[in-house]
Amino acid sequence: MVSTEASNPVKRKYPKKHNHYGFRDFFQFDPEKGTIMDWNDSQNILTTEDFIIGLVEGLEEEVGDASAATMYTIGCEWGQKDAFFFEKWFEREFDRNVRQTNLLFLLETWWWPFTSQGWGRWEVDMGDRKQGFMFINIFDSAVARTLGDVGKPVCFLYAGLFAGFFTELVKKQLSCIEIQCYSMGETYCKFLLGGQDRIDAAAFWLNEGATARDIEKRLRTGEVLR
Amino acid sequence: MLSQLDRLSFTVDGRYADDSELQFIADYIRSFPIRAQTYLKLQELESKLMQQTYQKVRLIDPMLFNHNGNDITAKWKQDTLRVLRYTAVTVLMDDTDTLRDRLLLWFQTIMKAFNAQRSCDVTYQVLQEVVKQNLPHAQANLVCPILELNRRLLGGSL
Repeated sequence: MVSTEASNPVKRKYPKKHNHYGFRDFFQFDPEKGTIMDWNDSQNILTTEDFIIGLVEGLEEEVGDASAATMYTIGCEWGQKDAFFFEKWFEREFDRNVRQTNLLFLLETWWWPFTSQGWGRWEVDMGDRKQGFMFINIFDSAVARTLGDVGKPVCFLYAGLFAGFFTELVKKQLSCIEIQCYSMGETYCKFLLGGQDRIDAAAFWLNEGATARDIEKRLRTGEVLR
Repeated sequence: MLSQLDRLSFTVDGRYADDSELQFIADYIRSFPIRAQTYLKLQELESKLMQQTYQKVRLIDPMLFNHNGNDITAKWKQDTLRVLRYTAVTVLMDDTDTLRDRLLLWFQTIMKAFNAQRSCDVTYQVLQEVVKQNLPHAQANLVCPILELNRRLLGGSL
């Protein structure tokens, strides 16, 4: 939801303020309307961990094993839509096109609203970008933190979100897979983003018991499935 | 101060605060005159502090003002000025939690994106020296721990 006039009084006064991700700056609570608008005039809702459990387990009950693919697809559509939304607010805030911007700065700027909203902090590792893949670490994933140690990756929504957003950003079909998850007893979640062939290979290795570190090594040595 | 008041209002929900829980308010009131003086002093000396810091950093490493062949002096000044002003208000309000939440955590990721950690490390180290040279000892003691926090967070050692 985008309105022409900013609903946030701090934003009305300082429309070009960039460090607006603190709780009090980023969210604007309107008790009369019962709404929570963020800095970019999106409407937010507060949910509990029970909501996330209900969403994940309810979907599993409805569609069984297909729930992972469903969450991933929801994430993809969300990411694609958010890429367009982001492009607009980025250009409004910084008076420049997303394609004329330092890439890491652009990505940090994209993720900050998610950090404020409680999706966790992230770290992007673009060291292998020229080889056609990259890694994203998520600290404190809302989904994994909620579900706890269940012994398997659970952040399909995030994987879809990254695939959808980056596909729109680079205008090239990309896929994403979570290769390490807080819900597997690790300290943070790790995602691999790249072309379908690499993601398929990673999925196969993961299924065979490979760790994230094994997968990183294999990708860096150029190993893919025949 | 504001963060501490906020926390106090949660912890004393439905009861009276005891003396130890109210101590920080008394401490703040006692320290307010010097905080206000320091705040005003930083405002008064802002351009001098900036100029001296710029010259010293330039002597240490002129390449810190160069990013991929472009002169980024204006950007450095803009960034350093912003941090200095937030530092001043942090001295006044005695609230490093708010500084961290509203500026530093975000700015840390931006400085990292531009590979500017070394520049921040040197800048906020030098700014501490410049503050010590220009402000009375007691005032510098209020400012320097905050500049050190800026250095550690933005300079990449945290």
